Amino acid sequence: MATEVLWWIFAAAIVVLSAGVVFSRSIIHSAIFLIGSLAGVGAMYIFLQMEFLALVQFLIYGGAVTVLILLALMLTRPDAPGHRQSLNGTQQPFALLVGAGLMVILFAVITGTTWPGSDIESLTEVPLTLVSQRLFEDFGAPFVIASALLLVALVGAIILARQEEGE
Amino acid sequence: MMLFADPLFGLPSWTDAIIRVVLVVLAMTIVVMYLTYGERKVVARFQQRLGPTETGPGGLIQAFADAFKLVLKEDIRPTNADRWVFELAPYATFVPVFMVLLALPFAHDWGVRDLGLGLFYVFAILGLNIVGIMMAGLGSGNKYALLGGIRAAAQMISYEIPLVISLLCVAMITSADTGNEIGTLNLNVIAALQEDRPYVLLQPLAFLIFFTAMLSELHRAPFDIPVAESEIVGGYFVEYSGIRWSMFQLSEYASMWGFSVFGSVVFLGGWAFPFGADAHWSVQLATTMVKSLSFIVLIFWVRTTVPRLRIDQLMSFCWKVLLPMSIVQMLMNGVILAYDWPQELLTLTSGAGAALLVAIIIKRAVRRPSKDLVGTYKTLGAPAQ
Repeated sequence: MATEVLWWIFAAAIVVLSAGVVFSRSIIHSAIFLIGSLAGVGAMYIFLQMEFLALVQFLIYGGAVTVLILLALMLTRPDAPGHRQSLNGTQQPFALLVGAGLMVILFAVITGTTWPGSDIESLTEVPLTLVSQRLFEDFGAPFVIASALLLVALVGAIILARQEEGE
Repeated sequence: MMLFADPLFGLPSWTDAIIRVVLVVLAMTIVVMYLTYGERKVVARFQQRLGPTETGPGGLIQAFADAFKLVLKEDIRPTNADRWVFELAPYATFVPVFMVLLALPFAHDWGVRDLGLGLFYVFAILGLNIVGIMMAGLGSGNKYALLGGIRAAAQMISYEIPLVISLLCVAMITSADTGNEIGTLNLNVIAALQEDRPYVLLQPLAFLIFFTAMLSELHRAPFDIPVAESEIVGGYFVEYSGIRWSMFQLSEYASMWGFSVFGSVVFLGGWAFPFGADAHWSVQLATTMVKSLSFIVLIFWVRTTVPRLRIDQLMSFCWKVLLPMSIVQMLMNGVILAYDWPQELLTLTSGAGAALLVAIIIKRAVRRPSKDLVGTYKTLGAPAQ
């Protein structure tokens, strides 16, 4: 019961914060709302008893991705803080089309899929040892290949971004 | 998320949780107050001064006087500041630090929550600390604050990687101790596993990397470039005054204490070494406190001894020295654990690595610069005056 009430509170908070990301007129505020929204999603994982996923969400999205967004804003933004920008640009109709289309597709997919375990009441707990076994033993090669791909992308990005004198 | 063994006095679990949170908050407040006093005293002794002496016997109530003064000060908000970002930033900095304190075991079964993923929880939540600092830097409407925020973000993102890998090394070697070949991330269990010997003996290199990265995450000297007074006036909190400024100080000292307790649990055996899991809780609590306080004195000692690094030295030290060393430590652990070689080998290899790291640090510290200061400015593209 208490969990259900908390679930609704967090769901409402996520919706409000996400609306803040879209409707806020200052890009800094958008970024900060985004952190709150992603942290709310992390809290949702705790309700689903996936603490590991929740912590990964906090670490990757809260601590890394949004910090990179804020860092990019710090380095590039010429306006004064609190500067308000107009919300709509020339791409407005396309944005509407893409947004509505994505929503329709997602709804269709979610309602059309038979989710495993949707008929049982209690949540199945997945132990962390099972996750690591799957990741490092059963699917070890894809994991290593994906990490190598990320490393190559990282080195490539550094080489592209780095310009030394005389190059 | 698990409870610790049984609720205090048989109370319902939520009342028990509230009591535990209140106890931790009280302990944190007192520790932070006396840390500011302790820092002034210790640093004063290192610099052949006396430190606070006037307020109370030996200056003991100086911290309370300071807190009183800060609360009474006017709370100034610059007109140029982004109002909500500016006002919420101190809280956004403090909340993660406070949440970390909730997962730390101070004695056997003593803490707010006994998390199965405690080790991972601590560094996942500490990563959120940057957000508040960047909010302060962006919201103040001040170039120095912005510079401090950028420096803090760059530094904390970089040093988080060696920090996490050094903790991962400890999580790896717990698998040899738990008995079922599966390691643990539970801080309480990690402390209990070190009943016979602390993990710093098995992993001196990981401990050195952890301590260095910890100094950097805490913005303590020699890594205090985000708050460097002589360069950018005070960094991201330059526009804050009164109660909001003291929130930043509170979170800085609270995270210093939190990190020290965390480090003493992971590397020094926490409450379990050397008195064992069966000792009285007061002995265990005292053990944790003594270990964490010696950590803190070590931080003060480093602060008074080593001069501040430049930002390019700081970054190259992280990416070219600490990161490779931590990866080497992880690989060595992996090989030794995979073949079930004796644990003395862990000590040996890691000790050799630690000696190498110390040698590298000394070599970098004593080497003569290849260019003079003007030459350095020319390379960096700045106009030489």
